[in-house]
Amino acid sequence: MTATSTLPASAPVTAGTPGRPGLGATIRWELRKLRAQHRTKAVLLGALLGPVPIALVIHAQGRPPKDTLFGRYATTNGFALSLLILGFAAQWVLPLLTAVVAGDIFSSEDTHGTWKTVLTRSASRAQLFTAKTVTAVGFAVLTLLVLSASTIASSVLVGGHQALTGLGGQLIAPSTALKLVGASWLTTIPPTIGFACLAILLSVWSRSSAVGIAAPVVIGMVMQLVGAMGGVEALRPFLLTTPYEAWHGLLAAPRFTGPLVEGLLTTGAWAAVTLAVSFALLRRRDITGG
Amino acid sequence: MRRSIITAAVVLLVLAGLGSVAVATGGGSTVTSARLERSLTASFSQVYSQQARLLGHRGVTPASLHAKAMCDNGGSNVGPGSSWNCLMSFHDPGNPMPTTGYGKFELNVHSNDCYTAGSPSTLVGFQTITDKQGRTVNNPAYEFDACFDPGSSNEPTGVTFPSALTITTTALTPDPQGRATVAALCGTGADGCVGSITVTTHGQKLGSVPFHLAENETAKLTLPQLPPGTKEADLAVSYQQGVGSSGTTLPVQGG
Amino acid sequence: MTTQLAVDAVGVTKAFGQVRAVDDVTIQVAPGEVYGVLGPNGAGKTTFLRMLFGLIRPDAGTIRVFDKSWDPDGVGVLDGVAGFIESPGFYPYLTGRQNLEGLALLDGGARAGLVEEVLEVVDLTDRADRKVGGYSYGMRQRLGVAASLLREPRLLVLDEPANGLDPAGIRDMRALVKRLAASGLTVLLSSHNMDEVEEICDNVTIMNRGGVAYHGSITDLRAMAPDPGHLLHTNDNAGARALAADHPDIEVEPAEDGLTVVGQEAAVAAYVADVVRSGIVLRVFTPTRTPLEALFFMLTDQEVAA
Repeated sequence: MTATSTLPASAPVTAGTPGRPGLGATIRWELRKLRAQHRTKAVLLGALLGPVPIALVIHAQGRPPKDTLFGRYATTNGFALSLLILGFAAQWVLPLLTAVVAGDIFSSEDTHGTWKTVLTRSASRAQLFTAKTVTAVGFAVLTLLVLSASTIASSVLVGGHQALTGLGGQLIAPSTALKLVGASWLTTIPPTIGFACLAILLSVWSRSSAVGIAAPVVIGMVMQLVGAMGGVEALRPFLLTTPYEAWHGLLAAPRFTGPLVEGLLTTGAWAAVTLAVSFALLRRRDITGG
Repeated sequence: MRRSIITAAVVLLVLAGLGSVAVATGGGSTVTSARLERSLTASFSQVYSQQARLLGHRGVTPASLHAKAMCDNGGSNVGPGSSWNCLMSFHDPGNPMPTTGYGKFELNVHSNDCYTAGSPSTLVGFQTITDKQGRTVNNPAYEFDACFDPGSSNEPTGVTFPSALTITTTALTPDPQGRATVAALCGTGADGCVGSITVTTHGQKLGSVPFHLAENETAKLTLPQLPPGTKEADLAVSYQQGVGSSGTTLPVQGG
Repeated sequence: MTTQLAVDAVGVTKAFGQVRAVDDVTIQVAPGEVYGVLGPNGAGKTTFLRMLFGLIRPDAGTIRVFDKSWDPDGVGVLDGVAGFIESPGFYPYLTGRQNLEGLALLDGGARAGLVEEVLEVVDLTDRADRKVGGYSYGMRQRLGVAASLLREPRLLVLDEPANGLDPAGIRDMRALVKRLAASGLTVLLSSHNMDEVEEICDNVTIMNRGGVAYHGSITDLRAMAPDPGHLLHTNDNAGARALAADHPDIEVEPAEDGLTVVGQEAAVAAYVADVVRSGIVLRVFTPTRTPLEALFFMLTDQEVAA
């Protein structure tokens, strides 16, 4: 600092206009940070390009993977291939892609020691919480849309667009099959939002990005195992992984939507509870470090 | 650090509690025989009709098949598992039912209300079939996946099929006293197998042995004493409950 | 209009478990003054400032800033208030400029050109487009000051602003604070260095172990100060010590490398002249502690540095 530096033009004594950022500005700030990070681009790129080799490899298999739904037709039908990949992605890929941002967006402030920086501007804790949540959820949905589009496109290009045998034994015409496949992928949005909120809770509670990213994936896998176990089916409606299978009803004959509605309720409850607890934790926290 | 451990322990305890409650309330599965029966008949009708189209058989539609099924898992008839068996009959003039009146389908049912069904090859063919253009294609009815609506009706369908009795012994080996046993298996079905086996050798009626088996039960029935030097014995089966072959002739070994 | 206090903190208390980090502290800062909060490490200065910023919730007491407090006004308390706690935190994967532009967003916007102006003030303009991850400690401190000035504050709160800087950095930081203060800004700063506080501040609170050891102006503090100490080393220390008998208003004690001489300036000067006149050769004659430093150590029960 040299003696020639000048002070800000406006007289500091009377200045200090109470500017307050709107939620939009706070969200824009979170997006800027997200755009500058490598992991964001890596996730989106992975979602865009990942399905291509997967579709090719599965299509080329000599013996179709019959143990998963639509596996038996995955090597001969592009629609079946995309639904096979959907069933597989819901197991750990979707929770992971979600948690990479949602599980880090709060704990990264702890990692960089920036809570004391952002909390001493003009945005309240509530505003920051909302902006981060909106950003995390929005990114999760965007990643899911990219993954869905890429998977459907690669699967149909690689596997073809023949009539599809549905989950009621019925033969579905290609144009209808495309719509149902698209709709099935879209039904994974609510539980993915649920996992984003779970990742947020884990991130806020543990203040660690490692926990925020890994724990939701592990929890997702455990929930899946529990959901597949006999004897404890009473728990299924409460698991966050159950709504990931609600799309089965769209391909059955006759179509049924009970699980989809139930899935929305389950996800809504999970989101409400996890976000409420996260917000309470953040609001009450004493920032003694960064 | 201590606070995190306490929090994690509390969460695990709550989860364990929920799990125990779930187990104690008997699981609460949506997989029941009624739902499987309705789902299987509907989805089988669809895939069988597909097969008929591929083979060029006309007049086979899901409605025309009138499929009826009775499902049983060898236990409480509730819950997922790989031991579900369904007896199903359907009406295809070009493909009559066997003497028992039904085919036996094996189901592997999962807790997510989806299942894989394996059809009897005697009624449905094998994994591949030759279509009417002569190409080898996948047989859609041989093995198929389906999912049922957990909210669908759980009212019993009231469909029952009689159990089928099978005599599994292929040759009689009498002991020094001339007494031989046959093993009989009573298959899945309502009411089990009740009746008697009448043994005749060289035109001489030796006597009858009654049997009373529950479904999925095997038993060894001791036949009336066989005279020495008997080469073969005719077994005639009569049924009060159940169905099956009406009789068979078995060679006698070491007689 | 009543004279509104810039900072009005009354009876502020915060305990972490069994430890009372801040114990019933009252500090009042008038607008326009430069106020120092002084204390050794662990005295509770940083915890107090965190409570002022709303980072920590006090267990008891009230904190009002320009007559606003956290309970009804929320983050509005920080209107016109800026500063940083300990080493300022920034995002290492963003450049200095990007960090400031982001913080401007969180402020509700900054007028055109302000980011450039504050970078100019702290002399970071040519390094502004490098990622903060590569900044030195001093550069980060300066960026912290820039981030504070971005809010065009009327109250600047700085937590040990010269901490960790090299001597040139310390000198520049003190000069900057003095300039800002001279322009009318209210400044509240904390420090563990008495000299720094003496140089810049008007009023001071000395904290020790969470509580207040002293409140008052620097002038009053100086009046309370004990006599300054000096280190004297000659070629005949025993002889020099003997001469002290003739000077009742000074104290001469043997020390590690010579003698410590404590007393008023004039009396000490007279004594030293006497020593020289008696033919003893002076080797070292240097002040060991300022009066205020001595007072500070006394007030905070610290080990007296020789």
